[in-house]
Amino acid sequence: MDPTVFVQLLISGILLGGVYALASIGLTLIFGVMKIVNFAHGEFFMISMYLTFWLFHYFHMDPYLSTLILVPVIFLIGIITYYLFIKPTLGSSALCQIFITVGLSTIIQNTVLLFWSADFRSISLNYATDSIIFGPFPSLPLGEIMVNPARLIAFVSAIFLSIGFYLFLKFSYTGKIIRATSQDRSAALLMGINIDKIYKLTFAIGIVLVGLAGGLVLPIYTVHPFVGFDFVLVMFVVVVLGGMGSVVGAVMSGLIIGIVEVFSSYWIGQESKQAIYFLVFIAVLVVRPSGLFGLKEEEELEHIETIDS
Amino acid sequence: MAVLFLCVLPLLIKNDFYLDGLILIFIWGAFAGAWNILAGYAGMMSLGHNAFFGIGAYTSTLLLLHFGLTPWIGMFIGGLLASCIGLILGLVCFRLRSHYFALATLAFGEVANIIAVNWRSLTGGSEGLALPIQSNLYNFSFAGRLPYVYVGLFLFLVVIGISYVIEHSRLGFYLTAFRENEDAARALGVKTGQVRLIAMVLSSFLSAVMGTFYAQYLVFIDPTSVIRIQISVQVALFAIVGGIGTALGPAIGAMIFVPITILLRAKMGTSLPGLHMIIYGIILVLVLLYMPQGISSKLKERVPILKKI
Repeated sequence: MDPTVFVQLLISGILLGGVYALASIGLTLIFGVMKIVNFAHGEFFMISMYLTFWLFHYFHMDPYLSTLILVPVIFLIGIITYYLFIKPTLGSSALCQIFITVGLSTIIQNTVLLFWSADFRSISLNYATDSIIFGPFPSLPLGEIMVNPARLIAFVSAIFLSIGFYLFLKFSYTGKIIRATSQDRSAALLMGINIDKIYKLTFAIGIVLVGLAGGLVLPIYTVHPFVGFDFVLVMFVVVVLGGMGSVVGAVMSGLIIGIVEVFSSYWIGQESKQAIYFLVFIAVLVVRPSGLFGLKEEEELEHIETIDS
Repeated sequence: MAVLFLCVLPLLIKNDFYLDGLILIFIWGAFAGAWNILAGYAGMMSLGHNAFFGIGAYTSTLLLLHFGLTPWIGMFIGGLLASCIGLILGLVCFRLRSHYFALATLAFGEVANIIAVNWRSLTGGSEGLALPIQSNLYNFSFAGRLPYVYVGLFLFLVVIGISYVIEHSRLGFYLTAFRENEDAARALGVKTGQVRLIAMVLSSFLSAVMGTFYAQYLVFIDPTSVIRIQISVQVALFAIVGGIGTALGPAIGAMIFVPITILLRAKMGTSLPGLHMIIYGIILVLVLLYMPQGISSKLKERVPILKKI
């Protein structure tokens, strides 16, 4: 393979992976702390894309600037969703927990379809259309490497946000409480931690993270009512590969999936690439349900069992 | 009594519009019943039943188009193929419980959909396949709706009958034991793996049979009508709202939802896309929040005669 093409694909893959990572952190966080899989996660991604789109369309607001409006709005949406749909089902059966978010996803998707139709909408930023060209590098066997500025901005922001969030989890008091709750709910409860408050906060933060990812990719992707579904499937793959509940794992496997996607669409074509990573996904689930970076298997499965009963 | 009523009812209805509704109730009721065998009794919430339904529809149709094989036999070949794949999926996802199983089957269903859309030489891709229009018994194709009603009714009763038998047999108790507490069931000597696979095979076989029947009734199949992932969501929704884990629940779910869909389509046409899905979603969420046992359990409380069933 030509080294220029290889490096070009690798860079494209990493840039894509950064966004996948940011989008998936929220999902893995919610799973880790609350032990529920949010099947409606992609819909918040889609809502954020629409919100950013309309702000651009009506007020000509720069999509990166509009994250300032996006964050509080989507945070509020997260809190409301928590109270209406998540909190009432926390103690109930796996059936309730799975299908409440499946139902929510159906409602959101089709409400958006009803109001804004199935049209594909996109924006074009005048400063982000022309690719930045690096090289050629005479000392290396490399030609010109092209990087799309919108993708670069999305990647850099995503990585900064991911690192920032990781530091927040690691060092802040609230972050420590969130991790404690994730590790052992009963012990956290005994230590006087307000579980309800932490769940609410975790859910809202998870939604904000995926929302930010949605806002950041608007200059790259077109938005339509089912875009969230396309992305959430990738997010599931990332989260499972990284180990459900592991933030570092999500970032790592986000990058891996980004690279895999770019290379497989180069080699075997755009359409079949998804089939490839779903098969990887099932394989990982089967061979190592705790993922590549996750907790030890038994521990993790034990978690699931306790939630079931 | 009820069976006799159902047998005579189609003869009294002369209107094609109502007969169409009746056929759809039988198809979706039976399919939801098939899903319920796995999800309701064994507690394994599949989101990949669209694959089995689609395998049934495509297998019999392709055998008819390429080899002139009657769909009456194609139906069973499709069923066997689906149950083999179901068996493999069951073996592969052996260890996965609740949320993990739902995720793995979701990926499986999506892979099936991707294959159906992209393997154009076989499935015709998004353009779909048209079935031969000559109406005769060999083609499983009839001019009027009445024969479809009776075939549909027969399949509908078969699925309810199988569910009823399972519910009151050793297998049903084993499955329930597995669903409620796997370790305890194992300790008492229940071969949990084996009974789970039996449920998987039965459920996928019946789903594929319904897929064939649906294809024969539509006389045209494409990925949107028989294999996209929303079909899994829809069938799960019917069963849950009607009452999961009961023989009649899924049928009741279909009796509630199919008329809603048909009425909305008749009143609104295509002016409000997605409206029926919004209503589905809202009903699902409300049922999960306020009566997780489904509507049939409430009916049983109110109407004493139903208790005996």
